Amino acid sequence: MIYNRSELGDGIGFTSVIDDKFKTRSLAVYLLTELDAETAAVNDIAAEILTVSNSRFTTYAAMCEKLSELYGAGLGSSARKKGDAQILGLKASWLDNRYAIDGEDINGEMLSIIRDCLFSPNAKDGAFDEASFAIIQKDLLDRIDSEFNQKNVYASIQAARLAYRGEPAACASYGTKEGALAATPADAYRAYRELLRTAQIEIYYVSPEKDDTFSEMFRQCFGGIEREPRKVNIRSRSPLKAVPETITEEFDVNQSKAVMAFKTDSDDRYALKMLSIIYGETPFSKLFLNVREKMSLCYHCTSRSVSVKGSFFVDIGVDRSNIERAREEILKQLDGIRAGGVTDEEIENSLMALDNAVLQVGDTPSSYISWFFDCFCDGEIMTPEVHFRRFCDVTKERIVAAAASLRPDSTYIMLNREVQG
Amino acid sequence: MEKEIITGSRTGDSCIHVRHSSGLEIFICEMKGFSSIEALFGTKYGSVNTMFRTSEDKEYTTVPEGIAHFLEHKLFENEDCGVFELYARTGASGNAFTSFDKTCYLFSCSKNYEDNLRILLDFVQKPYFTKENVDKEMGIIGQEIKMTGDNPEWRVFFNMLSGMFREHPVKTDIAGTVESIARIDAELLYKCYNTFYNLNNMVLSIAGNISADKVLEICDECLRPCGDNGLETVFPDEPAEIVRGEIREKLPVGASIFDLGYKCAPRSGREMLRAAAAASVISSLLSDPAQPMCERLLKEGIVNSTFGGEVFYGSGYFTLNFSGESDRPEAVREAIFAEIDRLVAEGIDEKDFQRIKKSSYGMLIRELNNVEAVANLMLNSYMEDVGPYDAIDMLSELTADDVAELMRSELRRDRCVLSVIEKEE
Repeated sequence: MIYNRSELGDGIGFTSVIDDKFKTRSLAVYLLTELDAETAAVNDIAAEILTVSNSRFTTYAAMCEKLSELYGAGLGSSARKKGDAQILGLKASWLDNRYAIDGEDINGEMLSIIRDCLFSPNAKDGAFDEASFAIIQKDLLDRIDSEFNQKNVYASIQAARLAYRGEPAACASYGTKEGALAATPADAYRAYRELLRTAQIEIYYVSPEKDDTFSEMFRQCFGGIEREPRKVNIRSRSPLKAVPETITEEFDVNQSKAVMAFKTDSDDRYALKMLSIIYGETPFSKLFLNVREKMSLCYHCTSRSVSVKGSFFVDIGVDRSNIERAREEILKQLDGIRAGGVTDEEIENSLMALDNAVLQVGDTPSSYISWFFDCFCDGEIMTPEVHFRRFCDVTKERIVAAAASLRPDSTYIMLNREVQG
Repeated sequence: MEKEIITGSRTGDSCIHVRHSSGLEIFICEMKGFSSIEALFGTKYGSVNTMFRTSEDKEYTTVPEGIAHFLEHKLFENEDCGVFELYARTGASGNAFTSFDKTCYLFSCSKNYEDNLRILLDFVQKPYFTKENVDKEMGIIGQEIKMTGDNPEWRVFFNMLSGMFREHPVKTDIAGTVESIARIDAELLYKCYNTFYNLNNMVLSIAGNISADKVLEICDECLRPCGDNGLETVFPDEPAEIVRGEIREKLPVGASIFDLGYKCAPRSGREMLRAAAAASVISSLLSDPAQPMCERLLKEGIVNSTFGGEVFYGSGYFTLNFSGESDRPEAVREAIFAEIDRLVAEGIDEKDFQRIKKSSYGMLIRELNNVEAVANLMLNSYMEDVGPYDAIDMLSELTADDVAELMRSELRRDRCVLSVIEKEE
């Protein structure tokens, strides 16, 4: 694998990864901006609309037809949040020319399509094409409505809203229903122009051979854009609530759910991750072995550390009558770690799991992109091996200290409605 | 024990196939440049296999719904310790799944694959069921059943299957019900295990950063030969007709969803693969935003980007389904009916057909780029009695007439079921 990162302009990074084992090429363009409930929805629409049509393929139908002619090339967008940042992405992947049966230049065609999507979008008179806008706006409104379809997803969203209340991260990565309803094609176009001017931009290209055509295209196209990039605050510790809060909702569901949020003032993200692995991320974790296997209370009970926000979550699906028992056991297991209940074997096993996981980086184009983009967000580019060595330095004492730093912040509970007798 | 090299004619990709002396079929793909390893050890035993006998049985045995899935859970516990504890020591990520027609145990790792393979082959061949450990599992699986019961996509799909199938067990949830699993005990689990976990009914598929010779050496060391038990699985007679054309249920959801499916004649082997390829083209034709019907539905806001189609098939069932979010699923049904009528009457545009074939070819090539996908590809080819690279060849041989014929003969309005999950008011 050959890695290279260069600056194409002010706040514009271009990372190229060459790996000859792949049959495909992949590209991701990430626009990083401050997550804000006022602008999140219109930003999301602006990014999504780019992949529906452009100045050459002016309808969604025409765009889809072209992409399927190119052997089902993928072109899509994404919105996610990391800390207090909104990350809007355009992603594409396609077969390398070697696999084109009729000798088509798939690479060249995709370069043109992506260039036009980003720099010659389907817009006129300062507004995006109305038909494309309508499709994307409806999609976003439906996505917001369908949050409630997946109960575990809904419970996690509600838990984040509660834990981060008053902070940018309380907002979903795609914004609010009000924001989506209020947006117009002109608003979305303005939002896109503003993103091109102010967002931090990171571009990733994974190909089986050296190919400078994409970096050249981006350098040239961005050269014509006046840039005033704004620093985005990804890492921002969420304050602990003065008094832990609980929000409970009741629905006609079969299973109750609870998401417990903790806050930490620890900056030791490696120890927090090791803590999470030992406490609740794996089938050899304390929550799995005790809450699930020993007590048979649940099918899933897991933990995760969100170090950029200084928060830590535990979620569980459980019978309403067992919520308290489960909560007591979850806290008891945490107290056990705080009291030094971590074995050398648990640390060794966690390192083995991490070692296996980091070695798999590079087995798919998307794993390269995720790896280098996460490094960028963390402010330090390193190899998976160096990253792993940081975990090897984590001692039992650091894990115990990480557990001791967790303070209960809030709990979201979804109850299954009790049938009245 | 002979190594057969299977090579895909279009891409030159190849894998090794071995019929092991123990009775097990083994597929191995050495993938140069990749770090990870994916291994699946599977049996042709899924939720639909509720009635069976071996050459030693006079009568057929009928077992409670959900037992294949229950067995999968219990096999993770051996006499000395849990299997996850063993994988914890090697760093592998171990898991398992039960579907309608198979149960698979798997691991993925990038180190110590030899030890992981020994763990996998050993625990799957070493059942340990007791009253205590069976009773303990009831609570965990009970919660899993409740969790999936709250998943509207799961519910809308099974409601559709219950409208389609009168007798076939495919209509029943893979995990069974809280009531059906209560009838499972250690004895019944052993009966099912001894019937279906015979190596003559099983496959090992392993891909990635491996040596085929080393894999075979470990197989020689760990596999315990077993005689063919003459396994026969039977399914109740299933009429061609559906049970009900429309099923609606109100649930606490944010967006209404639908599943619309056509019941088609079941098939097997290469005939099934050929029909699946043709049905997949139909699915693309009808859910492709490049086509006028889908373009109109999107413009009118009747569907959104969740609209799509899939072919669902296995032992004794074959269906073509369309699903998505919509407040007007009847309008989607009408549009699909009208479009099928038009395509049957006017024929399929050759340009559209070739374009969709290209797109499908691209997807198949991409699978070969991924260790996990390659391991699953080889496993599924065994389960479907076809070769690992047959799908690409089958696709290239497919004609627009094949597709039109399947559409004309199978996609009948009276064999169509619409299942809807509606928002509660």
